[in-house]
Amino acid sequence: MKFGPLAVALVVTALPLVSMAQSAGLATDEQILLRQVMNDRKAVYAKNLGLTEAESAAFWPIYDAYEAKVKPLNDRFLANVNRFAENYDTLSDADAAAILKEKMAIEKEREALKQAYTRKVAKALPANKALRYAQLETRIDQMVRRDVYGLIPLAK
Amino acid sequence: MKRILITLAGLAAFGATVPSIAQTTNAKDDVELLISQIQTDKRAIVLRTLDLNDAQVAAFTPIYDAYQAEMKALMERSAAMLDKFAANYGSMTDEAAKEILKEALSLRDDRNATMRKYAKKLERELPAVKVLQWVQIENKLNTLLDVKAASVIPIAQ
Repeated sequence: MKFGPLAVALVVTALPLVSMAQSAGLATDEQILLRQVMNDRKAVYAKNLGLTEAESAAFWPIYDAYEAKVKPLNDRFLANVNRFAENYDTLSDADAAAILKEKMAIEKEREALKQAYTRKVAKALPANKALRYAQLETRIDQMVRRDVYGLIPLAK
Repeated sequence: MKRILITLAGLAAFGATVPSIAQTTNAKDDVELLISQIQTDKRAIVLRTLDLNDAQVAAFTPIYDAYQAEMKALMERSAAMLDKFAANYGSMTDEAAKEILKEALSLRDDRNATMRKYAKKLERELPAVKVLQWVQIENKLNTLLDVKAASVIPIAQ
């Protein structure tokens, strides 16, 4: 089984997955939507952080480096979801254990990255703006997770 | 009073019923009551959805209850952090923002570590498919609660 809504999941993840979307052969409209979502995420920070020029010069390289490091984790996440989808109807204990192990590993690495880069942001920006960044980052991720988890059924 | 309301609103958004807020006479008791309601509701959903047999229930519940106890401590820390955020909102100093951010990151780390720890414990007792289901249910519930809580907590100024 392939989950039908995976393309939608890609879109709502609001993450830099354009190259993956292209290789997966997603429709052009969806690729455009993906790019839009990526840009929107950056726009949210640009609009809400209220950075000065000097703060922008310090913040964006850190954020871009963070996005670059998160991308391979997003690719692994999607590969794991696909593995789950492919095995969904006949999921063995071995499959479930491997999927769970990978899921936990991805989440651990993602959290470590998030923490490391939030600390970098905290060193580069005034504390109230760093806190604001962390709140926005968390909220976007929460909404993404809510939408993605809503599309992935429970194992059976 | 404002800070208490923000703290309670943040916790109430976790899924507990708001009328109960007025049932006790102090904020600490209200927080305890809300956490207790959230955890009771969550336990019922998890048990109903996992559909375990009797032997699996016997193995699962002590581990799950220990997990809930650790999560309760984390929720109490969250409540204290929200209280601090509310108390400083509008006149946030760098020092307060740093402390709140540090605690927020620490809480997230601790929550993920707790989930990993208990998934490993459950793996020794239940079929892997059931453990995967449990992690999925926890993630779904926690995410819904997180999004709801975030909707009532303002962004730092």
